[in-house]
Amino acid sequence: MALDIAASWARMILALGLSILFALAVGIWAARSRRAEAVILPLLDIFQSIPILGFFPFVIGGIYGALPNAVGANLAVIVLIFTSMSWNIAFGVYESVKAIPQDYYDLLDVAHASTWQRIRTLYIPASMSRIAYNTQISWAVGLFFLVASEIISVGSTNVPVSYGIGIAVTSFQNASPPDYPDYVLLIASIIVAVVVWRFLFLREFALWSERFKMMEEPREIHRDPIMRFYSWVNHRSISKLFLLAHDSGVTKFTSSIARFRRGLKYAVLIFLGIVFTLIAVTVWQSGTLNVSSLPSLYTLLSNEVGILYSLAVSFVRVWYVVAICIAIGLPMGVVISLNFKLYDTASPILEVISSIPAPILLPAIVLIPLIGHDSEIVAAIVIFLSVFWYIVFNVMAGVRTLPADIKDLPHVFKVSRWASWRNVYIPSALTALVTGAITAVGGAWNALIIAEYFQTSPTKAPLTQVASGIGKTITVATNKGDYLTLALAVISMTILIVTFNLTVWRRLYHRVTKRYTYNR
Amino acid sequence: MGTEELPEGVVQISAGATVVTVDHVSLDYYKEKEPLPVLVDVSLTAARDELVAVTGPSGCGKSTLLRIIAGLIKPTAGKVRVMDSEVTGPRSDISMVFQNFVLLPWRTALENVLFGLSSRTDLTEGQKQTKAENALEIAGLQGFESVYPGELSGGMKQRVGVARALATDPRVMLLDEPFSSLDDLTAERLRKETHTLLINPQTSVQTVILVSHNVEEIIELADKVIVLSARPAHVVGELKVDLPRPRNKQSEEFFQWVDKVYSLLS
Repeated sequence: MALDIAASWARMILALGLSILFALAVGIWAARSRRAEAVILPLLDIFQSIPILGFFPFVIGGIYGALPNAVGANLAVIVLIFTSMSWNIAFGVYESVKAIPQDYYDLLDVAHASTWQRIRTLYIPASMSRIAYNTQISWAVGLFFLVASEIISVGSTNVPVSYGIGIAVTSFQNASPPDYPDYVLLIASIIVAVVVWRFLFLREFALWSERFKMMEEPREIHRDPIMRFYSWVNHRSISKLFLLAHDSGVTKFTSSIARFRRGLKYAVLIFLGIVFTLIAVTVWQSGTLNVSSLPSLYTLLSNEVGILYSLAVSFVRVWYVVAICIAIGLPMGVVISLNFKLYDTASPILEVISSIPAPILLPAIVLIPLIGHDSEIVAAIVIFLSVFWYIVFNVMAGVRTLPADIKDLPHVFKVSRWASWRNVYIPSALTALVTGAITAVGGAWNALIIAEYFQTSPTKAPLTQVASGIGKTITVATNKGDYLTLALAVISMTILIVTFNLTVWRRLYHRVTKRYTYNR
Repeated sequence: MGTEELPEGVVQISAGATVVTVDHVSLDYYKEKEPLPVLVDVSLTAARDELVAVTGPSGCGKSTLLRIIAGLIKPTAGKVRVMDSEVTGPRSDISMVFQNFVLLPWRTALENVLFGLSSRTDLTEGQKQTKAENALEIAGLQGFESVYPGELSGGMKQRVGVARALATDPRVMLLDEPFSSLDDLTAERLRKETHTLLINPQTSVQTVILVSHNVEEIIELADKVIVLSARPAHVVGELKVDLPRPRNKQSEEFFQWVDKVYSLLS
């Protein structure tokens, strides 16, 4: 078990290191070159929107296909974790370098600093606090991807990674009779590891990075984990949407909006190019390409119809679970935040529960009497456990940031509880709720990979699988080597999610922030 | 808004009678079980048609005292009385104007005023509507009923705050640094109107308690000044300002009063 955790942590650290290097390169480039900025930002935006489902077929097929051994399997897992961490950190680096005051550039100009000196003495230090800051939350998201991809590596490769939290979970599932004490011990150890790691590394890293800060931020944000989470979600979803703002939402970046719009179409073309190249490489790796097997238009269309159906089913699944999360998380978050004592007790408890990566609970969920055998309910529970925190933490922090006066208001005028909720509490939490929901829906798409189809061994029947869903379609297609379905499914899903972000979310976000942001 | 519309049970009292009594009030905060005194044995009275100003160094607990009077915070010791009844919680005859306006940005000016009336079960919707419109008019906001706070200037936002407080027909009006979020010119104009706006027979207001750190503002407005010490706050001085109104801020006497308060503060 110690080995499992050590192996998982080693993969996480490598992925984090890789993400930071990538983020520095791309973030600095985008911030310093207008041309690069115009293409990199929308591209990061698109990549950030794609769930793990979109990455894993290529990573498993491409990397594991080229290196069908333990190294390849490990590399595949690391790259999958990388896809969960890097985009957000890159946005952080970009924003930090963009925010460097002109005086510092003048200083380096006077000193005739070379490009490398500039990177070393200005850009990297300026980005440090945002990197550390993002790392604290990205770690939790990465942990989800880690467990998911370790489990996938067992389900879809012949030489899966050895050791890892995800591996321990699948071997528990495959053992007969199952070793329950061992499983409970595993979950307890993971919680301990997460908490210890947080204090030994993530917290120290963040404190150390504070010395690089150019501007003072409220200290409370760094101390309070819920506030940290809130700020992370906000940076993330705003960076996803702010550049498309109609009006000057973030003044510092307004000049970038037009460039972003122009760059978007190039980014889409580049993105599609990357997807097709990856598919070509994957197909070439597996050696199944032959001209006579090229699909006819008919097969293409009938395939697409099936994919659109499973996509629609998943879409509904994602949304009804997020709706349940909102129905519970909104009142719960408001109640907790209005009561200081309750907030202080509840937030560490919720934080520990939220630190458990949901996939490792799946074997336990399957065992729940009455509902455990119903794949639809199991899927809903896994999605719920993966994304509920985005909603409740965001609402908690949103209400928390309100000035104390607005909490006095209903008391001064003796307004009834119901009227206070309707007029004050719910509207004031709406902005935080929407940003939380944007991230939650993204997380829900991620969760589909485990929620819709869970296989503990390539030779065994899946432990749980829903009747239809894009997660199932993609996983099954990857395992079968059905590249046509795979390509169509990944492209259809990406188009759906990106279009949804650019239309529905963007509009909703602007409407809500315009009216419901509490700014005195 | 006229006197005949006063809530039931409100008895007209003669000028000079005590309306609010703060009787030996103390407050401790508890930090890790250790009591931390904030207010020590604070007493004051506010009489009919009087504007009482409370001042003191920043962070001394002026606003906390105001919240105790409003019934939002329970004192550790001592009592607050309005007329003869003890304040045990927020009540409908006490109203408040906040430093940062505290308007609901998702409600229009009129709806914000109506929000203050939403607990009044004795009024019909039509009566509430009329009351709210009247209050906005008194505060100088006629024609701005359907405007959202985001589209109003700081001074106009605070006028909505005043209208909301007036609409409930309060006997006691509490002002918590009402001008300090406004720019100088706007604050100046609003200050000039304050005394006549609040203390006149057209409104139900019988006494006003103002918390402010701006000494000139206090001398311009107050009939009585209570000066608090730094934390833990106790009363270090009580002055009756008998300058005639309207007060000339350039006059020699005005500066003498300002100096008096400053000497108590330092």
